Amino acid sequence: MKKNILLSVFISVFILAGTSFSSGAENSLLLKNGNVITISGETIMGGDILIKGRKIAEVSKNIQGGPNTKIIDLEGKWVMPGIIDSHSHIAIEGGVNEMGSLMTPEVDIKDVIYPEDINIFYALTGGVTTIHTMHGSGNPIGGRGIVLKLRWGKSAEEMIFKGAPLTIKWALGENPKRTNFSLPGQARYPKTRMGVEASIRNELERAKDYLSKWEDYKKTLKAKKGQKPLPPRKDYRLEVIADMLRGKYWIRCHGYQSEEMLSILHLCEEYGLKLVCFEHGLEGYRITNELVKHKVAVSTFADFWSYKWEAYHTMPHAVALMAQRGVLVAINSDDPERMRHLFVDAAKAVRFGGLSELEALKTLTINPAIIMGIEKQTGTIEPGKDADLAVFNRHPLDPYTVCQMTLVDGEVYFDRAKYLEDRKKAEEEKKKKEEEAKKPQEKKQKREV
Amino acid sequence: MRKILILIVVVLLTLILFSQDKNHKILIKKATIVPVVGETLEEGDLLVENGKIAAVGKDITALAGTKIIDASGKFIYPGFIDGYSHFGLAEISAFASTVDIRELGKENPELKVAWAINPHSVHFKTSRINGTTTALVAPAGGTFPGLSALIKMDGWTFPEMSVKEVATSFINFPITPRPPRGARLGPERETKLDVTAKLVEKIKDYLKEARHYLELKKLAAEDSSLTPPELNQKYEALGPVLDGTLPVIISVEKAKDIELAIKFVREEKLKAIFRGCVQGSKVAAKIKKAGIPVIIEDLYRGPSEPEDGYDAPYRNVAELAKAGIMICFSSGTDPSIGKDLPYHAARAVAFGLDHTEAIKALTINPAQIFGVDDRLGSLEVGKDADLFITTGDPLDLRSEVTHLFINGREIDLANWWQNLYEKWKTRPLKE
Repeated sequence: MKKNILLSVFISVFILAGTSFSSGAENSLLLKNGNVITISGETIMGGDILIKGRKIAEVSKNIQGGPNTKIIDLEGKWVMPGIIDSHSHIAIEGGVNEMGSLMTPEVDIKDVIYPEDINIFYALTGGVTTIHTMHGSGNPIGGRGIVLKLRWGKSAEEMIFKGAPLTIKWALGENPKRTNFSLPGQARYPKTRMGVEASIRNELERAKDYLSKWEDYKKTLKAKKGQKPLPPRKDYRLEVIADMLRGKYWIRCHGYQSEEMLSILHLCEEYGLKLVCFEHGLEGYRITNELVKHKVAVSTFADFWSYKWEAYHTMPHAVALMAQRGVLVAINSDDPERMRHLFVDAAKAVRFGGLSELEALKTLTINPAIIMGIEKQTGTIEPGKDADLAVFNRHPLDPYTVCQMTLVDGEVYFDRAKYLEDRKKAEEEKKKKEEEAKKPQEKKQKREV
Repeated sequence: MRKILILIVVVLLTLILFSQDKNHKILIKKATIVPVVGETLEEGDLLVENGKIAAVGKDITALAGTKIIDASGKFIYPGFIDGYSHFGLAEISAFASTVDIRELGKENPELKVAWAINPHSVHFKTSRINGTTTALVAPAGGTFPGLSALIKMDGWTFPEMSVKEVATSFINFPITPRPPRGARLGPERETKLDVTAKLVEKIKDYLKEARHYLELKKLAAEDSSLTPPELNQKYEALGPVLDGTLPVIISVEKAKDIELAIKFVREEKLKAIFRGCVQGSKVAAKIKKAGIPVIIEDLYRGPSEPEDGYDAPYRNVAELAKAGIMICFSSGTDPSIGKDLPYHAARAVAFGLDHTEAIKALTINPAQIFGVDDRLGSLEVGKDADLFITTGDPLDLRSEVTHLFINGREIDLANWWQNLYEKWKTRPLKE
């Protein structure tokens, strides 16, 4: 016992020492002479950003660093908040759709994070710092998603965005209907939009039943002290749905057609569910009044369309039109390739529908941050926020812009200049090796001669 | 006197009618003219007559009946040519009934896309808004997918759109699979390479059979005592490919395969155009030496292999151009994003391609590659009046094409998207 106390004292002293040590020598980094697109306020031309530890400490002109401050001169490059992709499927080991069952809320992306996915690095090269990686859209109520910071090279555990609300994926329309795909074996219910809505409703009712069974059990336990009533059977699927009914999960609902989205707005209101966002929502522009009223956002594509019937009645102007009419809109990738040029997609919202450049950049930063419930930590360049930054050689909406540097929590995870240098070195080394490999052969040949 | 009056009225009426019918006579004034071939002209005028470019210069005077467009502060470029597309062959990709891109079977060299093209596909209208006026429409799938057509992005019927009913043939070259994780340059990779070489042998065998058939046919034509072989449309279709009169587009991606393809083209004496060549920069000198032009695929793609570097597809374009290879851009396999053609070019410019080269690769280069540079690809007198007026750099997403002309006709830029937008922006807002 004494030993234990001693040990714990020792440990706590050690921890205290550790924390004071880290805060004392907190690494500080000063980005100088950048055009800082803060999103939250004015763009500061020739501005500086002081980073202390993981956070932004100061944003203004002519900041003086301390003696231990590392300085990076941005030489007039553009800085924006790290891009946030609110709908992605990268960094997942294996498939993204659990098709074994119609409803699969028991599965969790958190359990299959794949931190070595090269697409994480590719995303960083396009200025992306945070993603919401999620279950597929094969099930009306699918698996749970997870918010990650792209701390490339770190473990799965270390990539998880601490404090981000938990999410669950729902899906409507052609994917859960399996219109454009077929599953082996017999056709699966539902085959219609009617069936999709009914199946969700049915599952919610089952979960309500399940909840009341547990409540009854707890009541019996309390009332009849000393007795041991049998507990209901634990059902991991219904546990999650019950939690969803309790408001623990933020619902991200895949849907395209305006009327099915409306039906789910009503359903979620009826059950008191926290519906946060429609995924894709290509017809969302038709129901802006309703989306604004229910405070439901849309996470969508800039102009991806016509790949199926429910993706046909749309236009690249949809992002601008929705945003201008008050809907919270994010432009997402849903694709590892699109993920690395999301800034190109934001420019499309300026071209089609005339969204302002600031509003267009919001669809990649603060808007997805709000949708993901992480707007207090990231999404703008403000003191106190995580130092998640993307540096571009030109304005991010310029057609010829190239991402130069990406920082997550004040740490440089991608540096194009260094990348090019490393590549050059590697190429030179390769050449050397090849030449060396040739040399003995030449000697041999000479001998033979 | 009365007769003279009637005559005058008739003449006047015909003149009016004629000039209206010749809505074709258009003078665009005070624009920055980028002719692609020749020097850029500031505050220049361009006259369109009978569907052709009639004059380019300063202060051109308009004759009566000429429609005048003031383009001050704007730019005129020749219409862009999309080097590879499926326009008119696919409407909604998940809807089999709307897709006519790929036939069953591996060897379909006789298939013509020409009459399968739907001139009224929504994708023509949405894809020309950024200046595309001509496109190669290609079939896909198998080893010999068929025959492409070169078309204008407007017309009531296919013949009205057609520039070349048959523009090229196709061969999809085998792709060397990526060696399994952990495998080095050992026996595993060698076997994979062998597989590719064997597949090339198969293609060569097929061409040999076609040559044999054509030879027999020729002999029978010369000698009536010989029985000609039974008609084989597939071999017939390969005739112009084998005698080098019809260009053949060879889709090839990896450096090793490109080397194999160059050897194949040389041995078979084909008039080849490569498509893809994502690893082309590694063997650029060889492609240049072989004199084979390259159609760049859409640049919404990652590297062929991670070792190439994250920016390989973009960088590759600049390096191919620097090596002196004739390149052209294409919007790729998805007709619904045909409008992005100039944006692919912009990505290449961002990673080192010269802007002037990028514009050439959208205009005069594809015109040369498809053998229509006598008609298309630049703003020169006598060429088809396929051109557009834009508010800025046509590679910039934020520029807007305000006028587009195909065969001298001003094209209505309204489209599916615009129509939806006009309608839905009027839905009353709820307070």
